Amino acid sequence: MSAEETQTATLEKEEETQGTEKKEEALPIVRYRKVSKSFGENQVLKEVDFDLMPGERVAIIGPSGSGKTTLARLLMTLEKPTSGTIEVDGRQLWHKEVKGKLVEANEKHLHEVRGDIGMVFQHFNLFPHMTILRNLTEAPVKVLGLSKEEARERAMGMLEKVGLTDKAKAYPANLSGGQQQRVAIARALVMRPKVMLFDEPTSALDPETVGEVLDVIKEIAAEGEMAMMLITHEMSFARDVSDRVAFFDEGCIQEQGPPSKLFVQPESERLQSFLSRFNLGEENSQ
Amino acid sequence: MVPIDVIAHIFDRLLPGAAVTVQLTVLSAILAFFLSFLGGFGRLSKFRIIRFVSAFLVEFFRGTSLLVQLFWLYFALPLLGLELPTGLVGILALGINYGAYGSEVVRSAILSIPQGQTEAGIALNMTPGQRMRLIILPQAFRTMLPSFGNLLIELLKGTALVSLITIPDMTFEAKSMRTNAEEYTLQIFGILLILYFIIGYPLSLLTRWAERRFSVGRS
Ligand SMILES: Nc1ncnc2c1ncn2[C@@H]1O[C@H](COP(=O)(O)OP(=O)(O)OP(=O)(O)O)[C@@H](O)[C@H]1O
Ligand SMILES: [Mg+2]
Repeated sequence: MSAEETQTATLEKEEETQGTEKKEEALPIVRYRKVSKSFGENQVLKEVDFDLMPGERVAIIGPSGSGKTTLARLLMTLEKPTSGTIEVDGRQLWHKEVKGKLVEANEKHLHEVRGDIGMVFQHFNLFPHMTILRNLTEAPVKVLGLSKEEARERAMGMLEKVGLTDKAKAYPANLSGGQQQRVAIARALVMRPKVMLFDEPTSALDPETVGEVLDVIKEIAAEGEMAMMLITHEMSFARDVSDRVAFFDEGCIQEQGPPSKLFVQPESERLQSFLSRFNLGEENSQ
Repeated sequence: MVPIDVIAHIFDRLLPGAAVTVQLTVLSAILAFFLSFLGGFGRLSKFRIIRFVSAFLVEFFRGTSLLVQLFWLYFALPLLGLELPTGLVGILALGINYGAYGSEVVRSAILSIPQGQTEAGIALNMTPGQRMRLIILPQAFRTMLPSFGNLLIELLKGTALVSLITIPDMTFEAKSMRTNAEEYTLQIFGILLILYFIIGYPLSLLTRWAERRFSVGRS
C-alpha cells in the first residue's frame, strides 16, 4: 500500500512538472469560455471553461448523455453554442471581430478557423463512393490545394502508419469496422490539424477490432505533436494515453487532473461511483 | 389476314411521327432534368422564400393535369398575347410537368444521404459547395437513377398527349391515318404500341446500365 502511494506521488510530480513546462512555452490551442449549449429546453452544456494546450492529450470521460459529444461537436463547428466563446489558436471560432465588436461568424470565417481541427467519428463516416485512397486525397487536393502527387504521397504514408497500404484501391464497404476506423483516422491526419477530436472511436466496433484502433491512436498520441481530445469509455486506454483526464457530468467538468491522480484518488463522490462501474476503478481503489 | 405491304405501309407512315416523338422525349427530358435539380435545390434552399416558391410551383405542376397545362399554353397564352411555336409548347409543358416530379426525386435523394457524410465533409473543412458536389450529389445521384428511369418512360408515354395540340407525333399520325382507313384500326394501333415499346425499351436498358455504372463501392 505504501509502495503504491509513493509510486503515485512520483507520477504526480512528473505530471506537474510537465504541465508547468507546457504552460510556460505556449498559450492554449483551444479555449472554451463559459460555453453553454441547449437543445430546446434541455441544457446540455453549462458554462463550460476548458483549455487544451498544444500537444496535450486530454481524455474526456463521463456518463452517457452528459454532453461529451456536444463539447466536441461545438469545436468541430457541427453545432453552434448557445452562449460563450471558443478560441482556437488565439482566434475566435464562433465569432469574428468587426470594428472591435464580436459578431457572429459566417461560413467563411468558420472555414478559416476550423482548418486547425480534425475529428474522428464514432461511425467512421467514410465516403462510400470513393476508394480508400480517394477518401484520403480528396480534401488535401480540394481544400488544402495540394497537387495530386503530393496528396497521394501523403495519403500513402498515412495508410502505412495505420497499416492499410494494401487497401488503397478498396472501397469502404469492403473493409471491417476496425479497418474503416483506421482509414477515418488517416483521413483526418492527412489534413495535419493542430487538434484532433476522437468521439468514442471504438464504441461502434466489434470487440475483436477495438484493439487495433486503440493501438493506432496510442501510436499517434506518442508522437505528441497534436493536441488530442479523446472521448472514451475505455478507462484503461484513457489512463495509458492521456496527460489529463476530465470527468464530465451534467454538462460541466466535475473534476480533472492527471490520470494517475484521477483514477487513483477520485475526489468527488460522483466520479467515485462512475469509476466503480469499471474494472479499472475497482482495481485501483482496493 | 393482313397483307405484309399494309403493315409496311403503316410503319412507313408512322416513322416520321416516331422521329417527332423521340425528339420531343429527348428535348423535354433535358428540360425536365434541369428543372428537377433547380426545383430540388430550391426546396432545400436555406432561404425560406425560395423554399416556399419552389414548393408552390412543384405542387402546382404536379397537382394539375398535364393535358390542361398543354391546353393552357396552346389555347390560353395566345389570348394573352403570347404565341409560342407548337413544338415548343409541347416541350415546355412536358419538361415543366416531369421536372416537377423529378424535383421530388432530387430532393428526397439528397435528404436520404446520412447527416454523417455532411459532418465528415465539414470536419475536412470542405465548403458547402464542395460537400454538395464531391460528397452528397455523387451518392444521391445513384439513388435518383431508378426513379429518373421511371420518369423517363412516363415522359415518353406522356408525349402522346401532345397530339391533342396538333403536334405531328406518332400518336397524331396514327389517329389521322385511322380516319381514312378505319378498317385497319387494329393494325395501326397495334403497330403504334410496338413502336412505343421499341423506343421505350432501350431507355430502360440505358437507365439500368447507368445504375450499374454508378453503383461502384456498394456491396
Ligand atoms: N441534435 C440534438 N438535438 C437534441 N438533443 C440533443 C442533440 N444532440 C444531443 N442532444 C442531447 O444532449 C444530451 C447530451 O448529448 P451528448 O451526445 O453530448 O452526450 P454524451 O456525453 O456524448 O453521451 P454518450 O456517452 O451517450 O455519447 C443528451 O441528452 C442528448 O439527448
Ligand atoms: Mg457521445
